[in-house]
Amino acid sequence: MSLLLDILSTAAILFIVSCGLLLIFGVMKIINFAHGGFLTLGGYAPLLVTQWGWSPWAGGAVAFVIGIGCGALVERFIVRPLHSRPLDAILATWGLGIVIGQLITLAFGRGVQFAASPLSGTVHLFGTEYSVYRLALIGMSLAVAAAIAGVLNGTRLGLITRAVTMNETLARGLGVNSARVRLSTFAFGAGLACLAGALITPLSSVDPNMGVPWLTNAFMLAMISGTSLLSLGVACLLLGGAQVLVSVFGSPVLGALTIVVLGALVLRIRPGGFARG
Amino acid sequence: MKKPLNRQHLALLAVAIALLIVGPWVLPQFAQNTLVRSCLYAVVAITVDLLWGYAGILTFGQATFFGIGAYSAGLVFTHLGFSAGTAVLALVGGIAASMAVAALVGWLSFYPGATPLYASVVSLVLPIVATQIIFSGGNFTGSSSGLSGFESFEIETSTWLWLSGGLLLLTTLAALRFVRSDVGRLLAAVRENEARCDYLGLNTSRLKMLLLVGLSGVCALAGFLYATYGMVVAPEMAGFQFGTELVIWVALGGRGTVLGPVFGTLFIDLGSAYLSGDLPFVWKLVLGVAFVFVIVVMPKGLLPALVGRFTRRTDASTAPAGKLVDAEPQPLAGLAARGRLALHVDAVAKHFGSLTVLRDVSFDARHGELLSLVGPNGAGKTTLMRCISDGRERSSGTIALNDHDIGRLPPFECVRLGIGRKFQTANVFDGLTVLDALAVARTRLDRPRMWRRSESVALPAAAMAIVRTTGLDQLLATPCRVLSHGQKQALELAMVLALEPNILLLDEPTAGLSKPERTQIGDTLVRLAAEHQMCVVLIEHDLDFVCEISSRVIVLHQGEIVLDGSVDEVVHSTLVRDIYAGAAALPHAAAERTA
Amino acid sequence: MNTNKWTRRAVAAAASFAALQALAANPIKIGVPVGLSGANSVVAPSVVQAAELAVEEINAKGGVLGRMLELEVADDASGAAGAQKAFDSLIFQKKVNVLISMETSAARNAGLPIVTRGKTPYIYTSFYEGRSCNKYMFVNAWVPDQQVAPIVDYFMKTNKAKNFFLVGSDYAFGRGMLEFTKAYIGKKGGKVVGEEYLPMDGSDWTAVINKLKTAKPDAIITSTAGGAPNVTLTKQLRAAGITLPYGNLAVDEGTAKDMGADAEGIVISGSYLTNIDSPKNKAFMAAMQKKFGDKLKTPNDLSVPQYEAVYLYKAAVEKAGSTDAEKVVTALATVKTEGPRGTIQMNKQRHAPLTMYLGQVQKDGGIKLLETFKDVDPGAQCPNLK
Repeated sequence: MSLLLDILSTAAILFIVSCGLLLIFGVMKIINFAHGGFLTLGGYAPLLVTQWGWSPWAGGAVAFVIGIGCGALVERFIVRPLHSRPLDAILATWGLGIVIGQLITLAFGRGVQFAASPLSGTVHLFGTEYSVYRLALIGMSLAVAAAIAGVLNGTRLGLITRAVTMNETLARGLGVNSARVRLSTFAFGAGLACLAGALITPLSSVDPNMGVPWLTNAFMLAMISGTSLLSLGVACLLLGGAQVLVSVFGSPVLGALTIVVLGALVLRIRPGGFARG
Repeated sequence: MKKPLNRQHLALLAVAIALLIVGPWVLPQFAQNTLVRSCLYAVVAITVDLLWGYAGILTFGQATFFGIGAYSAGLVFTHLGFSAGTAVLALVGGIAASMAVAALVGWLSFYPGATPLYASVVSLVLPIVATQIIFSGGNFTGSSSGLSGFESFEIETSTWLWLSGGLLLLTTLAALRFVRSDVGRLLAAVRENEARCDYLGLNTSRLKMLLLVGLSGVCALAGFLYATYGMVVAPEMAGFQFGTELVIWVALGGRGTVLGPVFGTLFIDLGSAYLSGDLPFVWKLVLGVAFVFVIVVMPKGLLPALVGRFTRRTDASTAPAGKLVDAEPQPLAGLAARGRLALHVDAVAKHFGSLTVLRDVSFDARHGELLSLVGPNGAGKTTLMRCISDGRERSSGTIALNDHDIGRLPPFECVRLGIGRKFQTANVFDGLTVLDALAVARTRLDRPRMWRRSESVALPAAAMAIVRTTGLDQLLATPCRVLSHGQKQALELAMVLALEPNILLLDEPTAGLSKPERTQIGDTLVRLAAEHQMCVVLIEHDLDFVCEISSRVIVLHQGEIVLDGSVDEVVHSTLVRDIYAGAAALPHAAAERTA
Repeated sequence: MNTNKWTRRAVAAAASFAALQALAANPIKIGVPVGLSGANSVVAPSVVQAAELAVEEINAKGGVLGRMLELEVADDASGAAGAQKAFDSLIFQKKVNVLISMETSAARNAGLPIVTRGKTPYIYTSFYEGRSCNKYMFVNAWVPDQQVAPIVDYFMKTNKAKNFFLVGSDYAFGRGMLEFTKAYIGKKGGKVVGEEYLPMDGSDWTAVINKLKTAKPDAIITSTAGGAPNVTLTKQLRAAGITLPYGNLAVDEGTAKDMGADAEGIVISGSYLTNIDSPKNKAFMAAMQKKFGDKLKTPNDLSVPQYEAVYLYKAAVEKAGSTDAEKVVTALATVKTEGPRGTIQMNKQRHAPLTMYLGQVQKDGGIKLLETFKDVDPGAQCPNLK
């Protein structure tokens, strides 16, 4: 039973971490390698929040806002000029991730720090004790998914974002300001990344490089999901589940490899990934 | 073949050798220690540059091959002790293991239809997998700690400096020679326009894989020396961070220049050693910012801007021009030999999801025929041509070239069956010269050399004729991007003819040409069919042109053949007139209506 | 003739003044390669503080052989590659006279070849898995032979534990400590029902905790890399509701305090506790408090040996009469110092007999002393070194 909860909570964490990247990949067709940097940036928000004496729950909100601001700046000055050079966009955003890490180090020091968890303790569920926070994350991931789906399907911005995702040239021909869509998408994606960073810190520690290990898993998941949130959810469940199973029955070290290896194999066999059609 | 070395390059070489010899006596100990490592890093950086700057493959994985070489030394010396025998075993084993892994990675990343992004993704996954495998090795591989305390060569640091500096010098010279060679030119062509290379019969996947495998061995050698020098191996040596650092050094130094990455690596690594102690964060921050700046604003890198002449793009296009010679007439042999039927198309269909583009297309064509495919836009003509030249395209049906079923063969294998395809928009190699483009086209028939450049390119009569009549033989040293539209068309045709095909597919060869140019092309095509006994198939919109030169016309409409006959039959057909006027329905739909 | 005498005196005065200046301007450099970033970054600041206090105290009393001490700190990133750069930089660029530091086993192993090449004395101040030997290295901290027995014995006696589950970070220290522990448990009639490792920078213990739950041990013993891995493991264990007897071979008081409520109940064994009741320790704590005020990082079993090592080096240089490496190395094997942990002398095959304390972390973060073991022998660590 706790194995099942492990799988669900791992999938939830992966989903939260990857959804921002997926959004950006879907609309702009580039992989934002600064995603790890944004995760780290968001991870430090709870620290700030504790320093200011606010409630730990505010960490996520603060992170989201910081992410949107930084994302917009990054899109304008770094990503936009590299519109036609996607491989270079990967490199530039990777460099940006390094810069973010160094700036954080300058501001907070390079030591490892620990943030307070907004929810601690365990709850007795189906015969085992399970961490409340991990369970809460399952709920939070569903909430985030619902929010994104709501924005994409319910708002006008969401509608034109979907149009640009499907066919940018055509959308522009119809008068859509695709530049603004890209800006808002990147900002939103960065905001989600920062939010994810804030949400995962209670589970481990905060240091200037905490985002990097998540980056490869996240982008592998994003690549095999294509452009659909639903595919991402499925991918997170399947691959996250595989990771947990390999970790438990094999070794945790090999478990860490599961997602990237499976992802690479899936892409080789089906370059479109899990996306339909 | 004698090519006088540029005087500047000779001077640079002399200076480099002098520095290498004098270095250990003049440099302080700390600088020497650091330089031994930096030179080995620079060797790996050169391999990254060859893959990325020259072949267009962005790779983060070269670190892993370096790590394999290093761990080979660490593992062998720790578990089997140190001796001359085990040292040889470790070196050979490391290089072999590295090449095996590279072959696997190459198989995974380079296949017909792969995207460059996927290759980069695999190269990213590789160091992660490697590090995790090292971690899972427990006491055998030393896991997070790595392996240390093993014995190694008892050599002075100054000797190490001569060794690693010497290796760097040799690798640099070899790389410079390589990129100027025929194969180097081939890599540039693949980077510029891989699709065109596919259709010139080149197995681009295998080329890239061979390059990767060869370079992985070089990295393993560097790793071996690194481990025997430092007497420590750690997972970081094979890891992701190091892999990306290499890309940063190459980008900052100047990708595609060989010398740029060398100077970039030495400069940055040496600088790091001195500065990062005192200003750890600031140095890395500066590096990161510089990297982002360079990628966005100066993608060629810093050094080319600063140093200019010495590090200009040293590749094929700067080499002196050669000349054309007539090729030995080669009897068409093997798969490309003339078959009974040049082209056999049977019940070919092509669907995109629920959209049917080609429906039950069947016809045969023989050598000596000049067949024109006509029809309004969207009829499926280009799709049909694609299906004929690429076995993977069609959804169903059979196609045979020279009596050989093409099955699911990719384009380069179809070329081997005797077909040549000229694209709709002039598809040449912008960054190469006219002569280079022709040389690349001859690669399948004239083996390219790895360390030299052939000065002459042999062309068969048909290609030579085109080149002479269009005046391209006076423009051999001109870069292709400068040519006029008509000249590009002619060049592409010459390139395709240089393949010595006996089936020729031409997609709108007269588009954008002037009247005299059109007449020239028309005469050429007729001659190719009649005198050289080729089967020429063309897609054309200029119906007058079609009528003048064709021996047979096939009319396509909405994916079906509506008429297949002589020029007269087609010209006088009312159905064709209606189709072009837009009034006709699909034949089978029309049949349904009357039924 | 008077002028001659005065001239001679003036010249002598000028000469000795110049000599003094030269000596003063010729400090003895102590290199401190330590993990300012990476797994050890949580404890590194306390180590640097301890070194700074020692240097300040010694310089205030006139230095060593009339020369002032100077610290050069370098970051070894808690790992092998970083250590190579740090050691190289300290020995060959900054040209330090001695290296005194604690670091991970990975870093130490990577640095030793450079120490040998540079012929620099090296006092390793961290507890570790034992059996690391080098002509120039001395160790003044504990090894498993001194530390493991108290914890295992305590669990077997007090908690009647028979089955043990071992968790560690996958590197030389983690594996070495748990290897010794497993052997000791076996010798005492107990059983090891599980042994799991995560790489040093791993922070997701979910799978390990899952296996732990399945194995149903009586007690847990862990040996993770100092700092982050300790905290993440403990946090996640508590979050999963594990309340078994928990012995941590590698946590220091400071980190335990930082872990807050999660750390309550953890049993630790070490050669230093802040509440050791001796005049030397009290004086040391007061001096640290005075120097660093509210920036003070709790002195612990990793930082106090650093303090004592600086004094040991001072004693060795004074005995040898110079900073010459060979002479200092010979002297280090015999000199002793009175430190917060008692009398420290590295005379047992380069290692030191130490008084060990068994303690338990309390709810307020303080340590309750359970038992004391005087002058525990380190065992035969380097039988082949002369």
